[in-house]
Amino acid sequence: MLVEVAKTSELAPGGLKYVEVDKREIVLCNCDGVIFAVGRRCGHQNAPLNMGTLEGYVLTCPLHNVQFDVRTGEALSSPLYHYFGEEEEQASQEDFDNFAQWYDVLRAHTNTCDLKTYPVVVEKDSIKLEIKEE
Amino acid sequence: MNIEARKKALRYLFQRVIDPLGYKFSPDEELVDFLLEQEVLLEQKHGIPYCPCQGLTHKREEDMKIVCPCIPFHREHFDFMKRCWCGLYVHKDVTDPDKLRQIPINEFRSARNVS
Repeated sequence: MLVEVAKTSELAPGGLKYVEVDKREIVLCNCDGVIFAVGRRCGHQNAPLNMGTLEGYVLTCPLHNVQFDVRTGEALSSPLYHYFGEEEEQASQEDFDNFAQWYDVLRAHTNTCDLKTYPVVVEKDSIKLEIKEE
Repeated sequence: MNIEARKKALRYLFQRVIDPLGYKFSPDEELVDFLLEQEVLLEQKHGIPYCPCQGLTHKREEDMKIVCPCIPFHREHFDFMKRCWCGLYVHKDVTDPDKLRQIPINEFRSARNVS
């Protein structure tokens, strides 16, 4: 079943867009002009990948920097945890509070689901996803 | 984690960094493959793809200067050699990387009179 989820004008090269189809959370990724669609939830701790960054075909999770190949959904790296500073030179309270606030925003969007890829069809200015019945 | 896929990804990401700096991957593909694999192994161990040819000091401020591609932190030195310390990257005009040698930092400073 082909479902229109967005217009091409809504997704600039390098851009990410969150769409929802039948309760499936999906991120559209404009990989230098080619559109790919992957599950929104990181395979590590389910953070919202649409809040991450896209560099070419490499999507980086905003929470622990796990990287994924948006063409295949394959995880390319392990998580890299936030650096809080050397033991003798701890981060300031303000830095810690800023991080905690940012972490809470991400955590508020977190739940459990798998990372998948979805076939994308672009017709004229319309981005459609092929959604299979589960 | 698939090491080959990670090597390709690092190569892809690094290419986007070194190109505007005037560098390219060495034409020596065997060397490039070997060095990228070492970086993947370092990344698996430390979380960061450090330069495989320079020692870690375990002082973050210093170690972050050898995260590949470390060209911006050693620009004058590498430009003088027309390659990075490992030889993973060379100037775009280089066709025979074997002719380029590692020049120790002291020798470079003497030659350029840089303190």
